[in-house]
Amino acid sequence: MPFETRPLRQSDYNYFPSTCPIVIDNGGSAFRIGWAGESDPRITFRNVVQRPRHKATGETVTIVGDHDPALMKYFDCTRSFQRSAFDGDVVYQFEIMEYILDYGFERMGADGPEVDHPVLITECACNPVQSRAKLAELLFETYGVPSVAFGVDAAFSYVYNQQLGICDRDGIAICSGFSTSHAFPMVSGEPVFEACCRTNIGGYHVTDYLKQLLSLKYPNHVSSITWEKVEELKMEHCCVALDYFSEAKVFQKGAKEAEEKMRCWQLPWVPPPSEEPPSEEELARKAAIKEKQGQRLREMAAAKRSSRILELENEFQGLEFLLQQLENVQESDIASFLSRTGYVSRQEIESALARVTQSLRKARGEQTEIEEKMEPSTSEKYPLIDLPDNMLSPEQLKEKKRQLFLKTTTEGRQRAKQKKFEEELERERQNQQDEEKRSENPELYLQQLRAKHKELSEKVEQRKRLKTNGSHTNGNNNISGAVGRGERLNAAQRERMRLLTTAAFDRGKGEDTFGAREEDWQLYKLMSKDNDDDDEGPDENEVELNRITCRLQEIDPTFVAKSDVGSVVATEIPRLRPLTKEDFQIILGVERFRCPEVLFQPNMIGIDQAGLDEMAGISIRRLPSKGDRLERSISNSIFLTGGSCLFPGMVERVEAGIRKIRPFELPIRVVRASDPILDAWRGAAAVAAAPCFQMQTFSRQDFYEKGEDWLRRYCLRYTL
Amino acid sequence: MNLEVVESEMVVPQHLSFKRVQMSDKYPKGQSRGRHWKHLKQIIQAENYQSCPPNQPNYVNIESPPSIYPSKKFCDITGFEAPYVDPRTNIRYADAEVFKLVRSLPNEYIQRYLALRNAAVVLK
Repeated sequence: MPFETRPLRQSDYNYFPSTCPIVIDNGGSAFRIGWAGESDPRITFRNVVQRPRHKATGETVTIVGDHDPALMKYFDCTRSFQRSAFDGDVVYQFEIMEYILDYGFERMGADGPEVDHPVLITECACNPVQSRAKLAELLFETYGVPSVAFGVDAAFSYVYNQQLGICDRDGIAICSGFSTSHAFPMVSGEPVFEACCRTNIGGYHVTDYLKQLLSLKYPNHVSSITWEKVEELKMEHCCVALDYFSEAKVFQKGAKEAEEKMRCWQLPWVPPPSEEPPSEEELARKAAIKEKQGQRLREMAAAKRSSRILELENEFQGLEFLLQQLENVQESDIASFLSRTGYVSRQEIESALARVTQSLRKARGEQTEIEEKMEPSTSEKYPLIDLPDNMLSPEQLKEKKRQLFLKTTTEGRQRAKQKKFEEELERERQNQQDEEKRSENPELYLQQLRAKHKELSEKVEQRKRLKTNGSHTNGNNNISGAVGRGERLNAAQRERMRLLTTAAFDRGKGEDTFGAREEDWQLYKLMSKDNDDDDEGPDENEVELNRITCRLQEIDPTFVAKSDVGSVVATEIPRLRPLTKEDFQIILGVERFRCPEVLFQPNMIGIDQAGLDEMAGISIRRLPSKGDRLERSISNSIFLTGGSCLFPGMVERVEAGIRKIRPFELPIRVVRASDPILDAWRGAAAVAAAPCFQMQTFSRQDFYEKGEDWLRRYCLRYTL
Repeated sequence: MNLEVVESEMVVPQHLSFKRVQMSDKYPKGQSRGRHWKHLKQIIQAENYQSCPPNQPNYVNIESPPSIYPSKKFCDITGFEAPYVDPRTNIRYADAEVFKLVRSLPNEYIQRYLALRNAAVVLK
């Protein structure tokens, strides 16, 4: 129910005599209170209580019904939510009921020491005595009510409409309320509860179903899909289909007819500000700034380099000077002379000098490859290698070994260099060839290149898939890369599994000769988990693919390299696009009649009970004493009431459903209450105003004398 | 209390003259009262309907029996008629398009769809 203005406190309370009953329709969704005999309830509000804390004072306050959301900023609602006194259609939390009654009586203007009026309050059919007794106790002891009466809302609604001539004295009342739906026959204007039947489904379920469906369909807009909003959508757009599946077929085909039946709810959406491309001036300015910054960086680098060169030169000179001085120092004094400088020996100074020279060269940007330039011939450098071992002393032998080692490493290095050089040459040659081909026929060349790229990338992809066991099938399982049910193992994993199982089952079969041969131990290597890749560097396909990709990138502006080939997941990354108006629309299509359908097929939401149309049949079947005449007459006045009967198409659907289960050619008439929501209160007000009402109430004295058990037998007469 | 709030009269007053027992006396502040109410299930149990005569109507025996019609199968996602069931997720679906969607849905959503018709796997 959308927010309405708060009801005003009534000022005419004292004009009513104490015999005038107060009539309360205590419904699952709304609470209505007013005076007997009047045409409309004085006060109506949602039957919920919220007890937040007032932020300024810290005290817990009570707010009943709906309220202005703007005022909620003064309250701390973190630990309080809207609570109802109802479990199903039975009042079970009497503390909440008391807050609601407090508010109701207060708004009615009550100000005496007690509420000195008889009270007629509605309850569900066959209300458990405990609930009825507790409510009576609350009214008698807390409010000092002189007498109470209980009645069923649907019966009141029927009686009221009977007065209006909409339905007959005999008929069936079908009431679909907030949390339950009832159907019971009315015989001679009185309800027959022996034949009553209840299905635990109502407007709450319809709204909840719609809310869940919408939030599943539009997970981005869950915050906009509030209970109140969905309730509003339900009341405005939902309807009952005469034949659900044929209606659904229309939508499934996606015909134009279906499009007309769709409703769209546009969420507030602000188009993002469109960005203007920067002007020429702006670009020039930015480029200038960039250039300036680059210049400054270059200058800084140059300054740093020159200062470093200066530093190194100083060090170089100092070391040279030291060496010169060292020439003059006598052999015996060297140690004492050097102790002041921090060097231990002449060699050390020399090596330091060499180092400084090197870095000085480097800093000046000269070539550093000195070793290569002054590479002496092999025999010079490694004089000991060619001599046979028996001619050498042990020290020389050691030296020979060292030289041998040095020689092999240098040679290796040279070979690698040579190879690299050759590869470079090869590539150059290939490029040149490519270039030639290209200049001959650019189109054809490009085509060939693309085809080759595709082929290769497929090959590489496939290899990857085999290796990584295709974890891209769907996100439903297998996120961790583990092998899920029904997924295939790759070859390596299969082999490993086979080895493991043979190892496990081989034991105890004949003589164990494992380990006798050297190769046996290789098994463990094969079994180990990290074995299952054969990554000896990238394979040639990959290398070739990389080359072609580079080439394509160079010459083909339209070419987009697939996100680097090395990555495992091949799923397409959803392209980011600016959000449009359509992204903020909530479309109601099938939902419009799918949600009210739960009233007729509670099975849809997992409630295994009969729907509204069948309930009428069950109710007639349960009727204890029925003649042919009665059966004819009650199906001629099938009466629909309650908030969930407001859906368009309800009457036709109920009629079609009942026709299916009733005998052929029986007259069937289905009518809707004049006002399915308010008629229950109006009927109750009429009953309470009738002269015989005073005889039907249950007084406070009765309560104290006869006790709760008498309430069990209490039964109101509805006939006016 | 802020003026706006007082003017809107949204808060139920603490003291009401027409009550014999005030709320604050009945439920004193700072005292833990425990749970002083019963759920509907407990109320029904306490009513002891088994000992009542079967022809007398009560809250339990007026409940509707299951429908006499075989339950129809609806597509959990779209609401169309659903001839198929996905054996992996148990979702009912209408056609191949929906099946694609079903297979792309994360498990949480599958469970929520199933919960709508009370068929979700509940771990206790």
